Amino acid sequence: MKRRAWPLLGVLAFGYAFLYVPILLLIFYSFNESRLVTVWSGFSVKWYGELLHNRQLLDAAWLSIRIAATNATVAVVLGTLAANALVRHGRFRGRTGLELLLTAPLVMPDVIIGLSLLLLFVALRELIGWPDGRGFTTITIAHITFSMAYVAVVVRSRLGQMDASLEEAAMDLGARPLGVYRQITLPLIAPALLSGWLLAFTLSLDDLVIASFVSGPGATTLPMVVYSSVRMGVSPQINALATLIVAVVTLAVVIAGISLGRKPGR
Amino acid sequence: MAVSNERRLLEPWQDPKAPPYLRIDRVTKTFGDLYAVDDVSLNIFKGEFFSLLGSSGCGKSTLLRLLAGFEYPTSGRIYIDGVDVTDVPPYARPVNMMFQSYALFPHMTVEQNVEFGLKQDRVAKKERQERVGEMLDLLKIMELRKRRPDQLSGGQRQRVALARSLARHPKLLLLDEPLGALDKRLRESTQFELVNLQERLGITFVTVTHDQEEAMTMSTRIAVMDAGQIMQVDTPTAIYEFPNCRLTAEFIGSVNLFEGKVMEREGDQVLIEARHGGILRMRSLHPHPLGTPVTVAIRPEKMRLSDGPAEDGVNRLSGVVEDIAYLGDVSIYRIRANGGQLVEMTLTNIQPRTEQALTWEQDVSVEWSPTSGVVLTE
Repeated sequence: MKRRAWPLLGVLAFGYAFLYVPILLLIFYSFNESRLVTVWSGFSVKWYGELLHNRQLLDAAWLSIRIAATNATVAVVLGTLAANALVRHGRFRGRTGLELLLTAPLVMPDVIIGLSLLLLFVALRELIGWPDGRGFTTITIAHITFSMAYVAVVVRSRLGQMDASLEEAAMDLGARPLGVYRQITLPLIAPALLSGWLLAFTLSLDDLVIASFVSGPGATTLPMVVYSSVRMGVSPQINALATLIVAVVTLAVVIAGISLGRKPGR
Repeated sequence: MAVSNERRLLEPWQDPKAPPYLRIDRVTKTFGDLYAVDDVSLNIFKGEFFSLLGSSGCGKSTLLRLLAGFEYPTSGRIYIDGVDVTDVPPYARPVNMMFQSYALFPHMTVEQNVEFGLKQDRVAKKERQERVGEMLDLLKIMELRKRRPDQLSGGQRQRVALARSLARHPKLLLLDEPLGALDKRLRESTQFELVNLQERLGITFVTVTHDQEEAMTMSTRIAVMDAGQIMQVDTPTAIYEFPNCRLTAEFIGSVNLFEGKVMEREGDQVLIEARHGGILRMRSLHPHPLGTPVTVAIRPEKMRLSDGPAEDGVNRLSGVVEDIAYLGDVSIYRIRANGGQLVEMTLTNIQPRTEQALTWEQDVSVEWSPTSGVVLTE
């Protein structure tokens, strides 16, 4: 038995290595003293220090976080409304259309979403003079359009699992529709809302393609800065930044996992 | 049959002057082409334990949902205590419902679940706590008050659901398969408890069930439903002894049906020529014209079984024992009559099983008296 387990363990180890060694290397070299990313010359945290003084990178990070947070919040509201309509309102006129619209962003290539939105913004500007210049607003709108679809998927499955008679019971006990939503539905789908928010936040934070299409001069998001600076030669600052992002994303995933792992009510 | 029937001079449903507490007036509910509830009228009186009985899909649950306000009738009106509630939304009706799934709020404790309805009614906090305490006491679940629904057993959940639906003191309590999710033993003890509770509180109960035994033990009256229509409304005893159609007769208990044609009337009895041979004489007050096809329904326990073939005569069949099912208290005998028909009958096992004379393949005769059954026209 023991001997036969070895090949399997080997495959497993290879799988883990394939997935995690690059990330671990990246984190490892962020503590490298040398300017050359691939040559180890001693432990140092100086790149983290330099990162904190790099205005361009910090501005981009702040912009990205603002976009991601706004996007996540709006996407959760819109995505939840869409999920509600699909789960609770049976067969209404335009249901198929809504379902199609909600799945489209999940399968559509980013390049097409980015390009089509850019064309839309340009056309709108010529027609009604808005949006006047591209930047925070246009990127946020673009991100909302696709991340609300992801939120809708998450919330929809949670709503679908929820026993509809819970809402009826609340109404039967004297709660008006809004009260039912506030006291019963929202608390029960809260974990889905949280993980939807985190998902939308992450999607927005690491989007490069769509943002490149719909941003304008002066509005450079973090992935755009990283991408362009890597093209001019990798600086260990980027490693440091990536390490920080990995840390934040890991934390978010852990939080989402814990909140979803809590046994939902039947 | 009912656990307790206070003997009044006249039950309210027998008194034409008694005002109905719940009046369902020609209610129809359609879903597309389907008539889920088809022109149903019912009067239910204060303090009744009323059961809607039928197989699944007969419309009983839809009728209950119409009473709760989750569905609105396509036509017809519903009155509770004289007030037309047809268009009143569920949260404004003086009605509460106990759901089949219990529908306890999983994110709230037992106490918060019971308190929920009172909170919606904006009852002051002090009174709220008192009334929650009363309910928890009444259902003997005080020690569970801090638990969450997923920490409760099925029986405990049922009690919490009941406490929650009673806390607002509704005029009408609707129960959807109240015992459906309990195991058999718990179900029997809970039946008696439900009836006691209902008599103590004086709240009118309307329950939906597909279990005829449950309906028989608990109800003051039963409405048998089929295909959205009410077939018969009566007390459990009357429904069992005097079913008015084949469907009711077959749905409640088991029954032997003999098809035939009316030959002759003699006073309050009719002579019927059975399709499988033989002459039946039954008591019937219905003015059957001669020659009408009828069905005679006789309960399995209302027949006599004797050894050896029968002599010719009315209400007599000869046959062979085909099957015996020993249930302990009673045995069920299946007898293949000479006409080819299968007759089922139950005998109480007065003697120990080993002493019994009857066995398989034995020639026997079955006999009953003209008052042991009913004559059905459809």
